[in-house]
Amino acid sequence: MRQHRGMRLPALLLALAATTASAQPAAYVLDPAHSFVHFEVLHFGTSTSSGRFGPIAGVVTLDRGAGRGAVSLRIPTAGVDTGLPVFNARLREADLLDSAEFPDAYFVATQFRFEGESLAEVRGEFTLRGVSQPLSLFARRFACRSDEGTEVCGGDFEGELLRSDFGVDYLLPFVANRVRLTVQVEGRRRQPDPS
Amino acid sequence: MNKLIVAAACVAVVTGAQADGPNYALDPTHTFVSFEVTHFGTSTNRARFDKKEGTVQFDRAARSGRVEITIDMASINSGVAPFDGHLRSKDILNVSEFPTAKFVGDKFSFSGDMVTAVAGTLTMMGKTHPVTLKANRFNCYLNPIFKREVCGGDFETVIQRSQWGVNYGLPAIAPDNVRLVVQVEAVKQ
Repeated sequence: MRQHRGMRLPALLLALAATTASAQPAAYVLDPAHSFVHFEVLHFGTSTSSGRFGPIAGVVTLDRGAGRGAVSLRIPTAGVDTGLPVFNARLREADLLDSAEFPDAYFVATQFRFEGESLAEVRGEFTLRGVSQPLSLFARRFACRSDEGTEVCGGDFEGELLRSDFGVDYLLPFVANRVRLTVQVEGRRRQPDPS
Repeated sequence: MNKLIVAAACVAVVTGAQADGPNYALDPTHTFVSFEVTHFGTSTNRARFDKKEGTVQFDRAARSGRVEITIDMASINSGVAPFDGHLRSKDILNVSEFPTAKFVGDKFSFSGDMVTAVAGTLTMMGKTHPVTLKANRFNCYLNPIFKREVCGGDFETVIQRSQWGVNYGLPAIAPDNVRLVVQVEAVKQ
Protein backbone atom coordinates (compact mmCIF):
# COMPACT_ATOMS: atom_id res chain seq x y z
CA MET A 1 0.00 0.00 0.00
CA ARG A 2 1.43 3.36 -1.03
CA GLN A 3 0.44 6.54 0.70
CA HIS A 4 0.94 9.97 -0.70
CA ARG A 5 -0.53 13.38 -0.20
CA GLY A 6 -1.91 15.40 -3.09
CA MET A 7 1.40 17.16 -3.79
CA ARG A 8 2.82 14.20 -5.69
CA LEU A 9 -0.02 13.76 -8.07
CA PRO A 10 0.50 16.79 -10.34
CA ALA A 11 4.03 15.53 -11.01
CA LEU A 12 2.61 12.13 -11.87
CA LEU A 13 0.11 13.67 -14.26
CA LEU A 14 2.83 15.72 -15.97
CA ALA A 15 4.95 12.61 -16.39
CA LEU A 16 1.94 10.82 -17.82
CA ALA A 17 1.32 13.60 -20.34
CA ALA A 18 4.96 13.59 -21.38
CA THR A 19 5.14 9.84 -21.96
CA THR A 20 2.01 9.74 -24.11
CA ALA A 21 2.81 12.75 -26.29
CA SER A 22 4.85 10.78 -28.79
CA ALA A 23 1.90 8.65 -29.95
CA GLN A 24 -0.40 11.15 -31.74
CA PRO A 25 -3.37 10.49 -29.58
CA ALA A 26 -6.53 12.52 -29.67
CA ALA A 27 -7.37 14.27 -26.43
CA TYR A 28 -10.91 14.32 -25.06
CA VAL A 29 -12.04 16.63 -22.28
CA LEU A 30 -14.69 15.12 -20.04
CA ASP A 31 -18.18 16.56 -20.47
CA PRO A 32 -19.36 17.57 -16.97
CA ALA A 33 -22.97 16.78 -17.86
CA HIS A 34 -22.15 13.14 -18.60
CA SER A 35 -19.23 12.19 -16.37
CA PHE A 36 -20.04 10.69 -12.98
CA VAL A 37 -18.87 7.93 -10.68
CA HIS A 38 -21.60 5.95 -8.94
CA PHE A 39 -20.89 3.56 -6.10
CA GLU A 40 -22.97 0.69 -4.76
CA VAL A 41 -22.57 -1.20 -1.51
CA LEU A 42 -24.70 -3.92 -0.01
CA HIS A 43 -26.52 -3.03 3.23
CA PHE A 44 -27.03 -5.89 5.72
CA GLY A 45 -26.96 -8.36 2.84
CA THR A 46 -30.39 -7.05 1.86
CA SER A 47 -30.48 -3.99 -0.40
CA THR A 48 -27.96 -1.94 -2.33
CA SER A 49 -27.21 1.58 -1.14
CA SER A 50 -25.74 3.87 -3.74
CA GLY A 51 -24.32 7.31 -4.19
CA ARG A 52 -22.74 9.52 -6.76
CA PHE A 53 -19.59 11.59 -7.15
CA GLY A 54 -19.19 14.22 -9.80
CA PRO A 55 -19.19 15.73 -12.22
CA ILE A 56 -15.67 14.34 -12.47
CA ALA A 57 -13.01 16.36 -14.24
CA GLY A 58 -10.25 15.14 -16.47
CA VAL A 59 -8.75 14.39 -19.83
CA VAL A 60 -8.60 11.12 -21.75
CA THR A 61 -6.20 10.56 -24.61
CA LEU A 62 -7.02 7.79 -27.06
CA ASP A 63 -5.00 6.41 -29.94
CA ARG A 64 -7.47 3.87 -31.19
CA GLY A 65 -5.29 2.92 -34.16
CA ALA A 66 -2.34 2.05 -31.94
CA GLY A 67 -4.54 0.62 -29.18
CA ARG A 68 -3.21 3.02 -26.57
CA GLY A 69 -4.61 5.59 -24.23
CA ALA A 70 -4.20 7.47 -20.99
CA VAL A 71 -6.60 8.96 -18.51
CA SER A 72 -6.37 11.19 -15.48
CA LEU A 73 -9.55 11.91 -13.54
CA ARG A 74 -10.09 14.07 -10.49
CA ILE A 75 -13.08 13.23 -8.32
CA PRO A 76 -14.09 15.81 -5.69
CA THR A 77 -15.22 13.81 -2.67
CA ALA A 78 -17.10 16.53 -0.76
CA GLY A 79 -19.81 16.49 -3.41
CA VAL A 80 -20.85 12.93 -2.60
CA ASP A 81 -24.62 12.64 -3.09
CA THR A 82 -26.68 9.74 -1.76
CA GLY A 83 -29.99 11.58 -1.68
CA LEU A 84 -29.70 11.88 2.13
CA PRO A 85 -28.02 15.06 3.43
CA VAL A 86 -27.19 13.53 6.82
CA PHE A 87 -25.64 10.51 5.12
CA ASN A 88 -23.62 12.76 2.79
CA ALA A 89 -22.28 14.68 5.79
CA ARG A 90 -21.40 11.45 7.59
CA LEU A 91 -19.55 10.17 4.50
CA ARG A 92 -17.38 13.31 4.43
CA GLU A 93 -16.08 12.70 7.98
CA ALA A 94 -12.53 11.70 8.80
CA ASP A 95 -13.07 7.94 9.18
CA LEU A 96 -14.86 7.67 5.82
CA LEU A 97 -13.96 9.92 2.86
CA ASP A 98 -12.07 12.45 4.99
CA SER A 99 -12.94 15.19 2.51
CA ALA A 100 -11.33 17.95 4.59
CA GLU A 101 -7.91 16.30 4.49
CA PHE A 102 -8.28 14.70 1.03
CA PRO A 103 -10.69 16.78 -1.06
CA ASP A 104 -10.10 14.76 -4.23
CA ALA A 105 -9.86 11.15 -5.27
CA TYR A 106 -7.98 10.32 -8.48
CA PHE A 107 -7.98 7.68 -11.16
CA VAL A 108 -4.85 7.62 -13.31
CA ALA A 109 -4.39 4.93 -15.93
CA THR A 110 -2.18 4.17 -18.92
CA GLN A 111 -2.98 0.49 -19.51
CA PHE A 112 -5.75 0.46 -22.10
CA ARG A 113 -6.95 -2.77 -23.67
CA PHE A 114 -8.88 -2.51 -26.93
CA GLU A 115 -10.89 -5.09 -28.77
CA GLY A 116 -10.67 -3.84 -32.32
CA GLU A 117 -11.20 -0.10 -32.05
CA SER A 118 -13.47 -0.47 -29.04
CA LEU A 119 -12.09 0.14 -25.59
CA ALA A 120 -12.53 -2.93 -23.35
CA GLU A 121 -10.57 -2.28 -20.16
CA VAL A 122 -8.62 0.47 -18.45
CA ARG A 123 -6.15 -0.51 -15.74
CA GLY A 124 -4.62 2.06 -13.50
CA GLU A 125 -4.40 3.39 -9.99
CA PHE A 126 -7.17 4.77 -7.82
CA THR A 127 -6.28 7.12 -5.00
CA LEU A 128 -8.73 7.71 -2.15
CA ARG A 129 -7.91 9.27 1.21
CA GLY A 130 -4.30 9.49 0.03
CA VAL A 131 -4.12 5.71 -0.43
CA SER A 132 -3.36 4.39 -3.92
CA GLN A 133 -4.38 0.93 -5.10
CA PRO A 134 -4.61 -0.74 -8.52
CA LEU A 135 -8.03 -0.61 -10.13
CA SER A 136 -9.40 -2.06 -13.37
CA LEU A 137 -12.44 -0.57 -15.05
CA PHE A 138 -14.20 -2.73 -17.62
CA ALA A 139 -16.13 -1.14 -20.48
CA ARG A 140 -19.75 -2.27 -20.58
CA ARG A 141 -20.41 0.13 -23.43
CA PHE A 142 -18.12 2.30 -25.55
CA ALA A 143 -18.92 4.43 -28.58
CA CYS A 144 -17.85 7.52 -30.45
CA ARG A 145 -20.15 9.85 -32.35
CA SER A 146 -20.09 13.21 -34.06
CA ASP A 147 -21.80 16.07 -32.26
CA GLU A 148 -22.12 18.88 -34.81
CA GLY A 149 -18.64 18.16 -36.13
CA THR A 150 -16.94 17.50 -32.79
CA GLU A 151 -16.11 13.90 -32.01
CA VAL A 152 -17.51 12.68 -28.70
CA CYS A 153 -16.36 9.36 -27.23
CA GLY A 154 -17.66 7.79 -24.07
CA GLY A 155 -19.18 4.83 -22.37
CA ASP A 156 -20.05 2.99 -19.21
CA PHE A 157 -17.32 1.37 -17.15
CA GLU A 158 -17.43 -0.67 -14.00
CA GLY A 159 -15.05 -2.00 -11.42
CA GLU A 160 -14.87 -3.17 -7.84
CA LEU A 161 -12.76 -2.29 -4.85
CA LEU A 162 -12.51 -3.30 -1.22
CA ARG A 163 -13.04 -0.22 0.90
CA SER A 164 -10.86 -1.65 3.68
CA ASP A 165 -7.92 -1.40 1.24
CA PHE A 166 -8.36 2.36 1.55
CA GLY A 167 -8.76 2.33 5.34
CA VAL A 168 -12.57 2.68 5.30
CA ASP A 169 -13.64 0.06 7.85
CA TYR A 170 -16.75 1.69 9.35
CA LEU A 171 -19.71 -0.72 9.88
CA LEU A 172 -17.88 -3.72 8.45
CA PRO A 173 -19.28 -6.29 7.86
CA PHE A 174 -22.90 -5.04 8.12
CA VAL A 175 -22.20 -2.71 5.24
CA ALA A 176 -20.18 -4.78 2.79
CA ASN A 177 -16.50 -4.35 2.11
CA ARG A 178 -16.95 -4.78 -1.64
CA VAL A 179 -17.89 -1.55 -3.42
CA ARG A 180 -19.04 -1.60 -7.03
CA LEU A 181 -18.16 1.43 -9.12
CA THR A 182 -20.05 2.37 -12.26
CA VAL A 183 -18.53 5.19 -14.24
CA GLN A 184 -20.29 7.21 -16.92
CA VAL A 185 -17.94 9.25 -19.11
CA GLU A 186 -18.27 11.25 -22.27
CA GLY A 187 -15.40 13.32 -23.61
CA ARG A 188 -15.35 15.93 -26.36
CA ARG A 189 -12.34 15.93 -28.65
CA ARG A 190 -10.08 18.88 -28.00
CA GLN A 191 -9.27 20.83 -31.12
CA PRO A 192 -5.57 21.11 -31.87
CA ASP A 193 -3.95 24.48 -31.16
CA PRO A 194 -4.13 26.69 -34.27
CA SER A 195 -0.33 27.20 -34.15
CA MET B 1 -25.53 8.33 11.27
CA ASN B 2 -27.45 8.66 14.55
CA LYS B 3 -29.77 11.30 13.11
CA LEU B 4 -30.49 8.94 10.25
CA ILE B 5 -31.42 6.14 12.57
CA VAL B 6 -33.68 8.35 14.67
CA ALA B 7 -35.42 9.67 11.55
CA ALA B 8 -35.96 6.18 10.21
CA ALA B 9 -37.18 4.91 13.57
CA CYS B 10 -39.68 7.79 13.90
CA VAL B 11 -41.11 7.03 10.50
CA ALA B 12 -41.28 3.38 11.44
CA VAL B 13 -43.21 4.06 14.64
CA VAL B 14 -45.56 6.76 13.36
CA THR B 15 -46.78 5.09 10.20
CA GLY B 16 -47.22 1.56 11.38
CA ALA B 17 -49.78 1.61 14.18
CA GLN B 18 -53.19 0.82 12.71
CA ALA B 19 -54.56 -2.72 12.54
CA ASP B 20 -55.28 -4.08 9.06
CA GLY B 21 -53.10 -1.29 7.75
CA PRO B 22 -49.50 -1.36 6.75
CA ASN B 23 -47.53 -3.73 8.93
CA TYR B 24 -44.13 -2.66 7.64
CA ALA B 25 -42.91 0.93 7.36
CA LEU B 26 -40.69 2.01 4.49
CA ASP B 27 -37.23 3.01 5.66
CA PRO B 28 -36.71 6.22 3.65
CA THR B 29 -32.95 6.01 4.14
CA HIS B 30 -32.81 2.71 2.27
CA THR B 31 -35.63 3.20 -0.22
CA PHE B 32 -34.86 4.91 -3.53
CA VAL B 33 -36.12 4.83 -7.08
CA SER B 34 -33.58 5.57 -9.82
CA PHE B 35 -33.68 5.33 -13.56
CA GLU B 36 -31.09 4.66 -16.24
CA VAL B 37 -31.37 5.57 -19.91
CA THR B 38 -28.68 5.62 -22.56
CA HIS B 39 -27.58 8.92 -24.07
CA PHE B 40 -26.98 8.92 -27.86
CA GLY B 41 -26.05 5.24 -27.56
CA THR B 42 -22.83 6.31 -25.85
CA SER B 43 -23.17 6.32 -22.06
CA THR B 44 -25.88 5.81 -19.47
CA ASN B 45 -27.54 8.74 -17.72
CA ARG B 46 -28.72 8.01 -14.20
CA ALA B 47 -31.03 9.99 -11.97
CA ARG B 48 -32.68 9.36 -8.63
CA PHE B 49 -35.89 10.58 -7.06
CA ASP B 50 -34.86 11.77 -3.60
CA LYS B 51 -38.34 12.13 -2.02
CA LYS B 52 -40.85 9.34 -1.74
CA GLU B 53 -43.28 7.87 0.76
CA GLY B 54 -45.27 4.72 0.94
CA THR B 55 -46.83 1.85 2.81
CA VAL B 56 -46.12 -1.86 2.88
CA GLN B 57 -48.27 -4.80 3.93
CA PHE B 58 -46.33 -8.01 3.88
CA ASP B 59 -47.16 -11.51 5.11
CA ARG B 60 -44.26 -13.80 4.45
CA ALA B 61 -46.07 -16.89 5.75
CA ALA B 62 -49.17 -16.26 3.62
CA ARG B 63 -46.96 -15.23 0.68
CA SER B 64 -48.87 -12.05 0.07
CA GLY B 65 -48.20 -8.37 0.11
CA ARG B 66 -49.14 -4.93 -1.07
CA VAL B 67 -46.84 -1.98 -1.53
CA GLU B 68 -47.65 1.59 -2.49
CA ILE B 69 -44.88 4.06 -3.22
CA THR B 70 -45.57 7.68 -4.16
CA ILE B 71 -42.68 9.50 -5.81
CA ASP B 72 -42.22 13.26 -5.67
CA MET B 73 -41.31 13.85 -9.31
CA ALA B 74 -39.81 17.30 -8.60
CA SER B 75 -37.19 15.66 -6.38
CA ILE B 76 -35.41 14.25 -9.41
CA ASN B 77 -31.64 14.46 -8.99
CA SER B 78 -29.19 13.67 -11.79
CA GLY B 79 -26.30 15.76 -10.47
CA VAL B 80 -26.76 18.20 -13.37
CA ALA B 81 -29.06 21.08 -12.42
CA PRO B 82 -29.98 22.15 -15.98
CA PHE B 83 -30.79 18.52 -16.84
CA ASP B 84 -32.99 18.24 -13.74
CA GLY B 85 -34.78 21.41 -14.82
CA HIS B 86 -35.34 20.02 -18.31
CA LEU B 87 -36.58 16.71 -16.89
CA ARG B 88 -39.15 18.59 -14.76
CA SER B 89 -40.36 20.70 -17.71
CA LYS B 90 -43.39 20.12 -19.93
CA ASP B 91 -40.98 18.65 -22.53
CA ILE B 92 -40.40 15.55 -20.44
CA LEU B 93 -42.06 14.81 -17.05
CA ASN B 94 -44.32 17.87 -16.82
CA VAL B 95 -43.93 18.00 -13.05
CA SER B 96 -46.07 21.12 -12.53
CA GLU B 97 -49.11 19.29 -13.90
CA PHE B 98 -48.19 15.80 -12.64
CA PRO B 99 -46.27 16.27 -9.38
CA THR B 100 -46.30 12.63 -8.28
CA ALA B 101 -46.01 9.16 -9.72
CA LYS B 102 -47.32 6.10 -7.91
CA PHE B 103 -46.48 2.42 -7.97
CA VAL B 104 -49.03 0.01 -6.50
CA GLY B 105 -47.80 -3.57 -6.30
CA ASP B 106 -50.28 -6.18 -5.11
CA LYS B 107 -49.17 -9.41 -6.78
CA PHE B 108 -46.14 -10.79 -4.94
CA SER B 109 -44.37 -13.82 -6.43
CA PHE B 110 -42.33 -16.03 -4.12
CA SER B 111 -39.74 -18.75 -4.34
CA GLY B 112 -39.88 -20.45 -0.96
CA ASP B 113 -40.26 -17.51 1.41
CA MET B 114 -38.26 -15.14 -0.79
CA VAL B 115 -39.98 -12.50 -2.92
CA THR B 116 -38.99 -12.89 -6.57
CA ALA B 117 -41.23 -10.26 -8.21
CA VAL B 118 -43.87 -7.67 -7.42
CA ALA B 119 -46.43 -6.93 -10.13
CA GLY B 120 -48.78 -3.98 -10.17
CA THR B 121 -49.30 -0.66 -11.87
CA LEU B 122 -47.31 2.51 -12.37
CA THR B 123 -49.23 5.76 -12.71
CA MET B 124 -47.25 8.61 -14.19
CA MET B 125 -48.34 11.72 -16.07
CA GLY B 126 -51.95 10.66 -15.71
CA LYS B 127 -51.51 7.25 -17.35
CA THR B 128 -51.59 3.86 -15.63
CA HIS B 129 -49.91 0.77 -17.05
CA PRO B 130 -48.91 -2.60 -15.62
CA VAL B 131 -45.35 -2.99 -14.38
CA THR B 132 -43.58 -5.98 -12.83
CA LEU B 133 -40.59 -5.33 -10.62
CA LYS B 134 -38.21 -8.29 -10.63
CA ALA B 135 -36.26 -8.95 -7.43
CA ASN B 136 -32.53 -9.19 -8.04
CA ARG B 137 -32.11 -9.69 -4.32
CA PHE B 138 -34.48 -10.12 -1.37
CA ASN B 139 -33.80 -10.73 2.31
CA CYS B 140 -35.17 -10.24 5.81
CA TYR B 141 -32.92 -9.64 8.81
CA LEU B 142 -33.12 -8.59 12.43
CA ASN B 143 -31.91 -5.00 12.48
CA PRO B 144 -29.75 -4.55 15.61
CA ILE B 145 -30.66 -0.87 15.96
CA PHE B 146 -34.42 -1.06 15.42
CA LYS B 147 -34.54 -4.46 17.19
CA ARG B 148 -37.09 -5.38 14.58
CA GLU B 149 -37.26 -7.41 11.42
CA VAL B 150 -36.39 -5.52 8.26
CA CYS B 151 -37.27 -6.93 4.85
CA GLY B 152 -36.12 -5.52 1.55
CA GLY B 153 -34.14 -5.94 -1.59
CA ASP B 154 -33.14 -4.68 -5.00
CA PHE B 155 -35.76 -4.63 -7.73
CA GLU B 156 -35.68 -3.59 -11.36
CA THR B 157 -37.77 -3.38 -14.48
CA VAL B 158 -37.56 -1.89 -17.94
CA ILE B 159 -40.41 0.33 -19.05
CA GLN B 160 -41.20 1.91 -22.41
CA ARG B 161 -41.47 5.56 -21.50
CA SER B 162 -43.65 6.36 -24.52
CA GLN B 163 -46.48 4.39 -22.86
CA TRP B 164 -46.69 7.21 -20.32
CA GLY B 165 -46.30 9.91 -22.97
CA VAL B 166 -42.65 10.65 -22.21
CA ASN B 167 -41.59 10.98 -25.83
CA TYR B 168 -38.86 13.62 -25.72
CA GLY B 169 -35.77 12.80 -27.75
CA LEU B 170 -37.08 9.50 -29.13
CA PRO B 171 -35.20 7.64 -30.43
CA ALA B 172 -31.90 9.41 -31.16
CA ILE B 173 -31.13 11.20 -27.92
CA ALA B 174 -32.53 8.53 -25.63
CA PRO B 175 -34.33 5.27 -26.44
CA ASP B 176 -37.80 4.23 -25.36
CA ASN B 177 -36.48 1.64 -22.90
CA VAL B 178 -35.75 3.04 -19.44
CA ARG B 179 -34.43 0.83 -16.65
CA LEU B 180 -35.94 1.48 -13.25
CA VAL B 181 -33.84 0.45 -10.25
CA VAL B 182 -35.53 0.27 -6.86
CA GLN B 183 -33.83 -0.16 -3.50
CA VAL B 184 -36.31 -0.86 -0.72
CA GLU B 185 -36.18 -1.75 2.96
CA ALA B 186 -39.16 -1.80 5.32
CA VAL B 187 -39.27 -2.18 9.09
CA LYS B 188 -41.77 -4.53 10.73
CA GLN B 189 -44.19 -2.79 13.09
